[in-house]
Amino acid sequence: MSSTDRVASISQHLAPSASAAPASAGSKSNLAKSPKSPDDVVIIAAVRSPLCKGGRGAFKETHPEYIMGEVFKALIQKTGIEPGIVQDIQVGNVLMPGAGVTTARMAALYGGFPNSVPAVAVNRQCSSGLATVGSVAAAIKAGYIDVGIGAGVESMSMYYGPGAMPTDLSPEVMAYGPAAEVMTPMGTTSENVAEQFGVTRAEQDAFALRSHTLAAKAAKEGLFKEEIVPIKLADGTVVSADDGIRVPTAELLAKLKPAFKPNGSSTAGNSSQVTDGAAAVLLCRRSYAEKKGLKPIARFLGFSVVGCPPTIMGIGPAVAIPKVLEQTGLGINDVAVWEINEAFASQAVYCVKKLGINVEKVNPKGGAIAFGHPMGATGARQIATLLPELRRRKEKFGVVSMCVGIGLGVAAVIENEVL
Amino acid sequence: MQGPPPLPPPSPSLIFRTSGYQGYAVEFSPFFENRVAVASAANFGIAGNGRLFVLHFDSSNNNVAQTHSFDAQDGLFDLCWSEANENQIVVSSGDGSIKVFDLGLKDFPVLNLHEHTREVFSVNWNLVRKDVFVSGSWDHSIKLWSPDSNHSISTWKEHAACVYSTVWSPHSPDRFASASGDTTAHTNEVLSLDWNKYDPNCLVTAGVDHSVKVWDIRNTSKDLLTLRGHDYAVRRVKCSPHAGNIVASAGYDMTMRMWDTSRGFNNLVRVHDRHTEFVLGVDFSLFVKGLVATCAWDETVHLFHV
Repeated sequence: MSSTDRVASISQHLAPSASAAPASAGSKSNLAKSPKSPDDVVIIAAVRSPLCKGGRGAFKETHPEYIMGEVFKALIQKTGIEPGIVQDIQVGNVLMPGAGVTTARMAALYGGFPNSVPAVAVNRQCSSGLATVGSVAAAIKAGYIDVGIGAGVESMSMYYGPGAMPTDLSPEVMAYGPAAEVMTPMGTTSENVAEQFGVTRAEQDAFALRSHTLAAKAAKEGLFKEEIVPIKLADGTVVSADDGIRVPTAELLAKLKPAFKPNGSSTAGNSSQVTDGAAAVLLCRRSYAEKKGLKPIARFLGFSVVGCPPTIMGIGPAVAIPKVLEQTGLGINDVAVWEINEAFASQAVYCVKKLGINVEKVNPKGGAIAFGHPMGATGARQIATLLPELRRRKEKFGVVSMCVGIGLGVAAVIENEVL
Repeated sequence: MQGPPPLPPPSPSLIFRTSGYQGYAVEFSPFFENRVAVASAANFGIAGNGRLFVLHFDSSNNNVAQTHSFDAQDGLFDLCWSEANENQIVVSSGDGSIKVFDLGLKDFPVLNLHEHTREVFSVNWNLVRKDVFVSGSWDHSIKLWSPDSNHSISTWKEHAACVYSTVWSPHSPDRFASASGDTTAHTNEVLSLDWNKYDPNCLVTAGVDHSVKVWDIRNTSKDLLTLRGHDYAVRRVKCSPHAGNIVASAGYDMTMRMWDTSRGFNNLVRVHDRHTEFVLGVDFSLFVKGLVATCAWDETVHLFHV
């Protein structure tokens, strides 16, 4: 009954958040503070396969449609969802032939979905596995569907290498600098970020060592068990753990030669690994979850994609994260756990420093430097990794973000509902 | 491209000054054609007293005058006329109390009901049973009262935020709707609502997101129509008692706007922009078709024909 409360109430009515436009139009939002609503997009489950070394790991002879299909089977089993009610399945990938669409459809059918359930392949490069989740959430918000799956898969054992990039390009377009920049090799973009923003080799190695150490510790403590679904291979072998995690020492990391240019600072030890894996996230509208008896574990709050120069694509999270925080009305300190993809230590270090994030909250179970970056799967994989960690810490807000190899940043805000 | 048709010019208003008090709510008497009441507060309702004004007006003689006034220790944020006793008015106050004033008794309320623990922002008399009224408060609760008792009959605590508006259906004896800051219908706080007087399933809401929305209560997953035009939050919305397609709204953009909901677009039919401060109250006369009253923080009550 204090007068300050009344002033606060009136000013709340008049705050810029009062804009008639949706929150994404740049006005101050209070989305993250809004109570549960029947229209919320909620996550029912997020699971992933083990991540295995490209060319040498457990999936080196396993096809992506098989890995993805097995993950779908596990998702159906874990949630108890009737497969026929799913209204769209989106599968992210980056390198697959035919843009990955046959892989997506075959994996869905093999995974146990009837042919009445549609499928699509999505390629937003390294963010594909998050772009699918964002698109499914948007379709639910728009009312096009009630329930869908955002997923992603990559077999870098099968489809990584010289064939991945087009070679015959329009001379006219290549003569136009800004367009030609899209072809900048990833290693070069990492060196560009390190040089332009002064990220030292020592900083990068220290961040990499942290990632390796945290991942090894988390694996030893069994912290990945909740998110990983074991995959039974055709020969009967069951793969149930990531196989790329190593525990190097600081000395060992310091000794590695620059991988992309002489006197460079990005090495095999402080860059993400080439990896195979798949992940999937089941989303639906809250009212639909209630109707079908599905239990929400999190709320999907916001999603942003922002462009940046392709030559320094690694800064992507530093431009996308402010945008998604503005969209949801959160501040940096409201976020308890950050899953920021470690394409390269150079760009991860830059983004964390630039945004003023407490590094303790970044990738607390390690990241792609330690266990790999199966490009099309990574975004969905990060959600699967984020949620158990938010539950373990009894915290609410998490952010998933990554840089994207054509000059984009992508970020999403997720609110844990199992406190 | 063809633009919207030009809006008709505002009609001249009868103006009454609520000097020293800023208007929060205005309601025509359901019994007397020429009587209207205004709930108001000093210091913009932030701190200080409240006053209930009862006015007599005569449009043909261009005359409006105060016949009664009642003072309260805190701002008065809403009022409703009794539907059973033509001399009684219920007001809701910032101190959590609800008072029933009788025009035959000076100074003191005939009933002082104090159960809400925070500002009471709405009171509304049942239109069908006519023997109960309902209140909504910033303590998140809604209470049902009878003028015959000092205690509430029931309490609802479903809302998770301030309740701004509680309104009985004119079609059903036991149904009311409530609007609250818990953003169930709009992307932001819902500040006001009203029932369509001709369609028992239709209601309108207004809120902080600047919009007025028309709903069919049988399917609340999506609004039937969104009326856009207000530049700031909308504080009050009312459905015409004389036409099922006419809606009035008032808000922080200092305007009262009239809408035709039978039009899918170009549905803004009139803007009353003569107030110079936030417009918080608007009401339709039950007796004279097209007669509207507004009250605002500019300490004036406007009576005019649309």
